[in-house]
Formats: sequence, C-alpha cells, structure tokens
Amino acid sequence: MKKKKEGMREVFFKELFKLAKKNKKIMLLSADIGAQCHDDFRKKLKNQYINAGVAEQNMIGVAAGLAMAGKIVYVYSITPFVTMRCYEQIRVDLCGMNLPVAIVSIGAGLDYSTLGFTHHGTEDLTLMKALPGMAVYSPCDNTMAKMLVNETYKGKTPQYVRLDRRGFPLIYEKEKDIDFQQGFSHLKKGKDLYIISTGRMLLNALDAAKRLPLDCGVIDLFRVKPFNKDNLELILKKVKYVASLEEHFTDGGIGSSVSGLLAGLKHRPLFKPIGLNNQFCRSYGSRKYLQNICGLDAESVAKNILNWISNNG
Amino acid sequence: MKKEKIKKKAKKPDLESLKSKALWLRKKVLDMAVNCGTGHIAPSFSCIEIVVALYYTSFLKTNPKKPEWKNRDRFILSKGHASLALYPVLADLGFFPFSYLDRFGKNNNYLGVHAENEIAGIDVSVGSLGHGLSIGAGLALAAKTDKKKYRTVVLAGDGECHEGSVWEAALFAASHKLNNLILIIDYNRLSAMGFLKDYQDIEPFEKKWESFGWDSIFVNGHSFESILPGLLEANSPGRKAPLAIIAKTIKGKGVPFMENKPIWHYRVPKGSKLAAARRELTKGDNR
Repeated sequence: MKKKKEGMREVFFKELFKLAKKNKKIMLLSADIGAQCHDDFRKKLKNQYINAGVAEQNMIGVAAGLAMAGKIVYVYSITPFVTMRCYEQIRVDLCGMNLPVAIVSIGAGLDYSTLGFTHHGTEDLTLMKALPGMAVYSPCDNTMAKMLVNETYKGKTPQYVRLDRRGFPLIYEKEKDIDFQQGFSHLKKGKDLYIISTGRMLLNALDAAKRLPLDCGVIDLFRVKPFNKDNLELILKKVKYVASLEEHFTDGGIGSSVSGLLAGLKHRPLFKPIGLNNQFCRSYGSRKYLQNICGLDAESVAKNILNWISNNG
Repeated sequence: MKKEKIKKKAKKPDLESLKSKALWLRKKVLDMAVNCGTGHIAPSFSCIEIVVALYYTSFLKTNPKKPEWKNRDRFILSKGHASLALYPVLADLGFFPFSYLDRFGKNNNYLGVHAENEIAGIDVSVGSLGHGLSIGAGLALAAKTDKKKYRTVVLAGDGECHEGSVWEAALFAASHKLNNLILIIDYNRLSAMGFLKDYQDIEPFEKKWESFGWDSIFVNGHSFESILPGLLEANSPGRKAPLAIIAKTIKGKGVPFMENKPIWHYRVPKGSKLAAARRELTKGDNR
C-alpha cells in the first residue's frame, strides 16, 4: 500500500515534539482535534499536552495564563475555530498583554473542501493581521512548515501559523532558500508582471506564470505580518502589472497589504487582487473543484490576468 | 523549616482595622470617580470588603517592592470595571505612589477605568468580562505542573457569569482538579441594566458550581466575620477541587440611595447627591 505523504501538520508537530522533549516548558493545547499528528505528545509528553475540549475561548485564556507563568504555548484547531470563535480572547489576553503564544491553524482557504464554509479559512489572515503585535505566517510547503517550529519557538509576540493539510509537492527543496528575516521569497523573476501569493496557492501562481505570454515573476509572501513593505517595493515598482493571488477573501488579505504598498508609490504598477469574492463557498467536492469554480485554478488565474492586461494595455 | 512555621503563624486580622480600611477605600473610590467624572462606583462598593480581606490579611502573598516576585499569589480582577476598588489598595501597599490616584482617568494618566498589566501589582489586563477565570486556570495549572506554591484568586461578577467562557473555564478547572484556584463571585444579583432574575437568571447559582465539579461556599461579602473563614476554607489541605466563594453583596453598598439601583452602575453623583453620599460614608466614621 502506498504510504500517504505527510502534510504540514505532520511535519510541524513532529518537529515540535522533538523540541518539546528537550524543553519541558513547551505545551501544546488542542481544541479536540489532531488525532494522529498529536499521538506522540499524547502518549509520551502527557504533562505537556492538553486536550482543552471544544472550548476555544477558554483554551486561549488558559494559554495566556500558562504563558504568563513562563510556558511556551502552542494552541491548535481548525482555522475558523481557533481564530474567530476566540477572537476577543486573542485580542485581549494574547495581544493586549503581548504573550508569546503560537496559534496554529489547520485548513487554509478551501482546504476542508467537503466540510462546508463553516470549516473554510477565508478571513483568518484579515483578522490576524488586524491585531497589534501579532506575527502572521502562511507557509506554502512542508519545508517551511517545519522551519516555522523553530521560528515560533524563538518568537517574543503572539504568532499565527496558517497550516494547510498538504505540504507536497515542495516549493522549497532546501531550508536555506527560506529567509524569515526577509519574510518573502523571490521565487521567479519577471520584467512585465509579478504575481504575489501565499500558502499552497503558490503552486497555482507558478503554474499561471508559465501559462502567460509575458515575463511573469512570482513572489511568495510567507510572512504576511510584519509585512516587508520596503524590500517588496524595490521589486514591485519595476514592473507594469502586479497581481495578488490568495485562497482567502480579497478584502483584507495579502492583496490589501500589497495594494497599500502600491498606493504609496509615485509611479505605481496597475494592480489586480485575485482571491475569493466576499461570499461563502457553498459547494462541496475536491479542493481542485472548488478552486476551479471560484476561479482560483491556474488556468482561470492566467485567463483573468490576461484579460485584465488586455483591457489595460 | 522554622521559617516556614513562622510564616504560617500569621497575625490574626484585627476586624476593626479592616472595617476602617474598607470605609477609607469607599471614600477613595468616590473621590477618584468624582475627580475624574467617571468610574463604576457601585460595582466597586460591592466588592470593597472582599478586596480589603484579600490584601490586608495574610491571605494574598504579594511583595510591593518586587511586584514580579515569582511566588506571589496571582490576583485577577475579572470584573475589571471595579478597578477603582483596587488602585487605592495598591497605592496604600506601596506598589505605586498615591499621587497616581489623583490622575485616574485623566490625560497622560497611569490608571484607567479598567486596570492593565503594565501597572505594578496588576497581573492581568482586565475590562472585557469572562476572561479572568480561564487565565486564572492557566496560571493555576502552571503552578501545579511546576509544583509551585502560589495560588490564583479570581474575583468575578455574577452578571459576568452570563459569559459562556466562564463555564468553559469552570469545566476545565474542575477537570484538571485545580485546587489552587479560588474564584470569588461578587454576588450582588445585578448587572448594568437590572436584576439578573428579571432577564437572564443564573439561579440556582451554588448548585451550578457544584454540578460543574467545584467546591462552593456562601459568605456575606460585606462582613469580615464571614469572609475571613470563607477564605480559610481555601487553605483547607484536603480540598481536591477548585473553590467558588459566593459572596452575597449589595451593589452600591455604603451609600443607601445607590444600593440595589441599576442606574448607579456607571453614574457619578454631583451636587446634593454627592454631598449626601459623602455624609453617608462619614457616618461610618462613628461606627
């Protein structure tokens, strides 16, 4: 039988487990999810693992108390539940007191494609970006998800990590190609257009770039906040067109950050935000199918960009 | 070992001095609110004796010279709108200068209506209801895990118990057998808009805590003779569960025209009402 490829959560929690064995201050709190990827914690580090039950508000408050007492705390659940259900606790208890708790979510965008909109992560970046002091990470593959364990471990502020269930195929073969100080990667250089994307949508961005009859560059914005405006500006101001691509509502997501940057330029490129329109995805099926009907597959993205450029030549 | 014994032999609290401290605190609360023109007087008056009992007996171990002392007991004023009842106490104990009290709620100030953890002596920022018990549970759990002796005391309002997060925390604390966590509930049966029984009843309140796996006791929240034995219950060595001390109180206690009147939740008296309030509090001097 073919072994199932590991996804981001498997590599993330495997790495966290290794660290937690060495540092007993690390604690992992789950809101009753994480069946297999938390097995090691559950069995071998019982004092460092808590199933906080289906009670996310309390989980964040407890995490705040633990962090105040010197613990290094990770909390985990499905994206909407660990961000929206307990948003005010995150705002007041974590951000209001600047506590280094890492919020790890699973299910970026339409990842839980058969579970319906209640399980879609389509507003989380907007919400997390809005909070003072919150660092926001959106990894695109397993290499980066694994590195984020060490990155969040070192973090001194509240942090949000948006995991996707899938982390293969890899976008980064080598860890040295990921620079967390920079916060983004210049994956492909371009002279006419840049697509700036995040998470697994990077695969679609790279694919769309190939389909376009233009010299199209691709940027991976994996550290959504703090947003490295200055260095991104140096790249984006050189081209005529910039598009953002995200599996997230366009309102408030990475497109908003990019548009804010571009608006401040004297000679600015034309900008096209691509993502989910501000409506819930009410369909079910495969992730690919949902991306397709939402216009986020590579072919639709390439067509969309080409149409836009033709109309704004 | 000897040192330990000496520590445990705490001085018996002098009830008369506690009563005069409570009276002093009510006057300070009124003065500060009047000086600023804002503040929750009645909700603060409701928990005056509780705050005095916690800070002026040997119950709460704190160190004003080292506010971050690792083994201090943690206190969370979850009903944060009563911060007025805490600031004068912290100043009196030496956490910060008395002069700070004069600037309460004013421009470029240090103290606001809801206390923040940047203030010496305040462990947790408060202001949004229903947060304190979860944070307290986290602190208490960490103390147990690390085998630390400090206790965590949370003071919450009864109206605050409308928040679902309080009951999430209640389940959590009982499941983790947090016998080092003490919740004191200022049970005045009123919220901002009216009597709880008239719009969202919390009764039977004590049974709720018991059914959630907590130990619970009732005390008279304005009588030191009742509060102090209640606090001693928290020290009971055999206790396995977290403890809820339900302190029966009167919102606005000390100024009869404010007592049990929802309108005074967030109102500061002026003119003849202010004079009347001051007269009422002065009466206490001759008790």
